[in-house]
Amino acid sequence: MISSFLRQILLTIAAVLFLAAPVQLALAQTPTPASPAPAPVTTTPAAPAPAAVAPAPVAEAPAPAVPSSIVSEQRPVIDALKKQIAAYEQKFKQKADADAALANLRLDLEGSAKKLLDIGVSFRPRITEINARLEQLGSPPPQGQPAEAKIVTDERTRLTTEKAEINAVLGETEDQLLEVNKMIDAIGDARRELFANTLSQRVDINYSLGSEVIDAYGREISTMNQLISSWWRFVVTFKWQSMLAAAFFAVIAALVLLIGGQRLLGHLYLRDAAIEQPSYLSRLAVAFWSTLMRSLTVVVFLATTYLFLSYFNVLRPDVASLFYTLFCVIGIVYFVHALAQAVICPGAPNWRLVHVAPRPGRILMVLITATATITGLDYLADTINQIATSPLSLTVAKSLFATVLVGLLIIAMALLKPLEDQETGAAKRWPRPLRLFLYAIGLIPIAAALLGYIGFARFVSQQIVINGAVLVTMYLGFLTARAVADENALGGTVLGRTIQTRFGIDESTLDQLGLIASIVINVFVLLLGIPIILLLWGFQWSEMTVWFLTFATGFQIGSVTISLVAIAVGILLFALFYGFTRWFQGWLDVRVMSRGKLDSGVRNSIRTAVGYLGLGIAGLIGISAAGINLSSLALVAGGLSLGIGFGMQAIVSNFVSGLILLAERPFKVGDWIETSGVGGIVKKISVRATEVETFQRQSIIIPNSSFINGNVGNWTHRNKLGRVEIPIGVSYKVDPRRVHAILMDIARSHPLVLKNPEPFVAFKALADSTMDFEMRVHLADLSNSGTVQNEIRFALVDRFAEEGIEIPFPQRDVNIHLDDADAIVQMITDRVKEQLAGQPKKTTKN
Amino acid sequence: MNKFAVVILTSTIVAGTTLAGPAFAASLKNSDASAQTVVVTEGSSKTQLQVAAGDTVEFCSSGCFVTFPNGDREALTGGESIEIKGGKVSIK
Repeated sequence: MISSFLRQILLTIAAVLFLAAPVQLALAQTPTPASPAPAPVTTTPAAPAPAAVAPAPVAEAPAPAVPSSIVSEQRPVIDALKKQIAAYEQKFKQKADADAALANLRLDLEGSAKKLLDIGVSFRPRITEINARLEQLGSPPPQGQPAEAKIVTDERTRLTTEKAEINAVLGETEDQLLEVNKMIDAIGDARRELFANTLSQRVDINYSLGSEVIDAYGREISTMNQLISSWWRFVVTFKWQSMLAAAFFAVIAALVLLIGGQRLLGHLYLRDAAIEQPSYLSRLAVAFWSTLMRSLTVVVFLATTYLFLSYFNVLRPDVASLFYTLFCVIGIVYFVHALAQAVICPGAPNWRLVHVAPRPGRILMVLITATATITGLDYLADTINQIATSPLSLTVAKSLFATVLVGLLIIAMALLKPLEDQETGAAKRWPRPLRLFLYAIGLIPIAAALLGYIGFARFVSQQIVINGAVLVTMYLGFLTARAVADENALGGTVLGRTIQTRFGIDESTLDQLGLIASIVINVFVLLLGIPIILLLWGFQWSEMTVWFLTFATGFQIGSVTISLVAIAVGILLFALFYGFTRWFQGWLDVRVMSRGKLDSGVRNSIRTAVGYLGLGIAGLIGISAAGINLSSLALVAGGLSLGIGFGMQAIVSNFVSGLILLAERPFKVGDWIETSGVGGIVKKISVRATEVETFQRQSIIIPNSSFINGNVGNWTHRNKLGRVEIPIGVSYKVDPRRVHAILMDIARSHPLVLKNPEPFVAFKALADSTMDFEMRVHLADLSNSGTVQNEIRFALVDRFAEEGIEIPFPQRDVNIHLDDADAIVQMITDRVKEQLAGQPKKTTKN
Repeated sequence: MNKFAVVILTSTIVAGTTLAGPAFAASLKNSDASAQTVVVTEGSSKTQLQVAAGDTVEFCSSGCFVTFPNGDREALTGGESIEIKGGKVSIK
């Protein structure tokens, strides 16, 4: 459908881009970092001088002409290649004006170059062998010395001959390679020139063109009239049944699809106006299905019509191509229209995929459809021109008209105020950069066409339309990815719910799945969209696969080679090995160490160490598989160490402390430790920090260095044995020996108190109000201390009550000396008298 | 969390190293006392490459033919390291 003219333009742009890449690469390579600049690169054929050294002795040798086996092996291959290259050269001369052919030729030639190089390399083992043997034989004895054995001379001669032969063949291969590479360069030049010609060709637009066009137009109309009417007469006279049958079948097929599709899939794409706020995904699904079904109906109708028409031989070749283009144009225009309608959805605002105001949305839709229609009609007119063999002037005029119209339509789109403010609902213009961009791409084809650069204008306008369509579709793809990644987006869909019930996945996992799905969609859109755009720009599929392969298997930036495959393999290996480490860790812990009755601290240390070791090895394996030289890693590490010394001092010190903790094991998971005012149970020992849970269930993350630098108290280091003290004071009225005996009795009778070390009761002090005792008991497991203390205290209180032993309150004796008693009595009496005297006054006053 | 940090640290170092990574060109070391000239056919041109005594140069990133000072010809794919020592050429 794309006219050959357009194809040429597209292909030539490919050429330019394609050629630009190696040029840049070559530029990047030239400044080699070697200190003595490799002598000014001369392109003189300088080979013969040094090359002449080796073959010299061959000339005088009697040459026992036995061709080397490798040479005779490779000879036919080289000859075949030579023939092929000659054929390519011929082809190049013939097809110098067809861009697609040139692009293919270039690929073929690159293949040949690779083969030539392979042939060259295949000689290397033999050359090495010969050189080694020649070295063993040594150089021939100089004149005057006793001659060497004949067999040695013979062998040397034979070897030098073979070497010379190989050298000659290599020279031939080299020349061929040189020729091939020159041809590749020439093809690049030719393609560049072709492209430049098409784009820079200028047509004078003046009055004479106008009259010429009107003439040609009249002729074309009459030609087409004749053509169509003669075909029509033919159809009406001979094929009217077939024609009717074709139309009938086509309508049937379309109806089946339309009605059946609506019946079966209607719920998928008919918009339910009752739904207030459909989710983005359901809006998207509706848009997708409605576009697909509507376009499919039309496409099926057109395709069946065309197929039946050609099946019944109704179409003549010229009419067939006309119909084909017409149907294609109708199909594509309808598709664009359906897509625009589905996305903008002017009738049902809540089903819109993009936020566009209703009225401008409708206009935008019309404009988009119009642009597609004009581009399509341009193609159709191309076909008509070809059929009617119209003069160039008509093509020029038609292209001028079409490109200017497309440009105007784009400018009209730029002028719209399509966006709706989310809050106020006021219409807004496009964002400024987008608006300016639209103006620019609308003005370029108009200006170019009016200046007479029709080829360029047409190229630009067609690129705009097609690429615009692809880009919008890609944008929708990205929007989808974003919608899928939203929280609970996947869970809200039918698919998500099905997965959830089928595989029994919980909400959060489903959410993560959504995230992964979104990444996959993004990658997919890029992988699909970029090649399509490149194809539209005229790149050949084969070229793209070559690029992709180069990109994947390794490309150079300066002196660094980056290979995506290697990096992916590295990541994969890392993941695999890390997974294996985790499995091994678990296996070692559960199967081996637990059976071996190892101490839990040792187990934990080994487990952690194995984990980090595995991580390190996995990292190293991954790095080397990714093609990164480990020696340069050492270099960087060396450079960083100073920085690490200052910047990451704390982290590194914690890290090292963690390693020491793992080796020394001052405490293990589950120990009750106390350090710098924090006490609790150790929950996890990592390399940087240790997690301690206090008895109030507060997790405290303590940096490992504080364990190494400070004191750590561990209640349960070697065993859980521990001492508990219970102080008690009794009244002086009781016999302390009796109290001591009772306390010892209580301590001994408690089941959890150890017999050895024996409980001890200390008579600690004769305090103010009490005699103080302290009961000291040892427990096998200190974690029971709370219970034991409780029980002993209960027992104490009960027993003391039984025995009538008092636990006194604080007591104090108060002594009053009565020496001044008289004076005090006198003073009080005086006070009372005074008060009594003052009383009558008060009464009168009242 | 800690492992994650370790991974990030490693990847940073990796990213750093990538910049200092190896090149996939052929390297030619001249261990002789005098400068050597080799003829390199790469792309569509033949060039003379001079290597000073004791120097190493990198060339031929995508396959080439080389003619050494002793007249030997070799095809290279672009990963080899070559040494000229005592007028003899060794390819690894």
